[in-house]
Amino acid sequence: MDKTLRELSDEELILEFQKNNTEDAFNILVQRYKNPLTNFVFRFLGDYESCADVVQETMIKVYRYKDTYSSVAKFSTWVYTIAGNLARTEYRKQRRRNIFPISDYGEDHKPYDLPDESYRPDVATDSGIKDEIIQKALLKVKEAYREAVILRDIQGMSYEEIAEILGVNEGTIKSRINRGRAQLQELLKDIYKE
Amino acid sequence: MENEEKKYEDVIKALKGLKKVNAPENLEADLKRRINSEKFPEKERKSFWENIFVPGKLIPSLGLVAAAVIIFFVVDTNSEEMDNPFLIKPRIREDIIAISDSEFEGLETKKEEAPKEKSIEKDEPVLEKRRDQNELKTSDDKMTTGREKSKEVQVPELSGKQHYATDQNVAESFESGGYKAMADSDLSTASVSPAPSTVDSVRAESEVVTGQSISKDELNFRQVQTTMEEKKVLDGMKRQMQSLEKADEHQK
Repeated sequence: MDKTLRELSDEELILEFQKNNTEDAFNILVQRYKNPLTNFVFRFLGDYESCADVVQETMIKVYRYKDTYSSVAKFSTWVYTIAGNLARTEYRKQRRRNIFPISDYGEDHKPYDLPDESYRPDVATDSGIKDEIIQKALLKVKEAYREAVILRDIQGMSYEEIAEILGVNEGTIKSRINRGRAQLQELLKDIYKE
Repeated sequence: MENEEKKYEDVIKALKGLKKVNAPENLEADLKRRINSEKFPEKERKSFWENIFVPGKLIPSLGLVAAAVIIFFVVDTNSEEMDNPFLIKPRIREDIIAISDSEFEGLETKKEEAPKEKSIEKDEPVLEKRRDQNELKTSDDKMTTGREKSKEVQVPELSGKQHYATDQNVAESFESGGYKAMADSDLSTASVSPAPSTVDSVRAESEVVTGQSISKDELNFRQVQTTMEEKKVLDGMKRQMQSLEKADEHQK
């Protein structure tokens, strides 16, 4: 039984879970999607703890609203749509939480910019640090572009799938991806000089 | 499309080269725990009214309400017993003689009735004359008060300090027996009495002006202790008064 379930596709598993309420089918889906979803959400949010919460919440929604899934769409599209929506909500919450006037901490109450040392080429030597720099640069890209870039270049999805997940047409997705890449290139130009 | 991908080759390479982030190990366990907790949900939430009428909350709240009602009534009854300071009548000072106009008129009528009833028949023409005179004067002074009348009458004949008797003068007149004359005479006001030298004029005028007799009990004069010299002076004045009275009687 367990072997046969593992051989089933995502869509077959969710149908099994819908019809027979087979929890093993759901568990297999969780095993299959927990890491890709975590990677996608982490690259979008940049925070591992909240990323884990979002992934868990995504799985809960899949479990609770299994009947809303229609067999017309791909399961991956459906689950990424849920995760993307939750990630966006979480990102906006975080942004609201983190916004505070830095001028309050200055003695003369004048606004000032904090120097960002992370882009210095002499610092970006280790691959771990390089990953961190790319991640920070990714978080500076506009929200809509970032999501499309992550799904395309990190998750390796097709334009068609991304368009379906984000609910926009392919042309829009392509332009968003290009703009996102352009922004990233600008942000990471110091690393490429090396 | 391919050109664009070549343009951003470095970026795409960098993004693809990022380490894969894996889910936490306890994700599945946490997920199962959460799903199981949802399968057996907590007790249904009670409504606001159901929560209120729980005995644990109802009894103390009723106690509080009862205490509030008791306190309200206790405070309220106390407030009723308290006198309103704006409704308290001022205390009457006994050392001040105050006679209202109505009392003044009442006394006047008594005065007129009592001593003069006997001689009504004899003095009828005289009384009529006086009444006529009174009517004439009162008709002229309809708009004036009793006090004003008395002033108007007294002013032409009495002038200066002599016309207004001081407490001392009144006391002297009482001591000398002149009080009888003063009591018999119609005084226009209780607080003003004529000086001994102007007894006749005052008497004449007081008959015209509505007046009243004031008994000794009604008066509350200051008692003055006199020295020997003062007594001598007073005796002299008494004698003068008596002689004047006698002369007056002889004239009559």
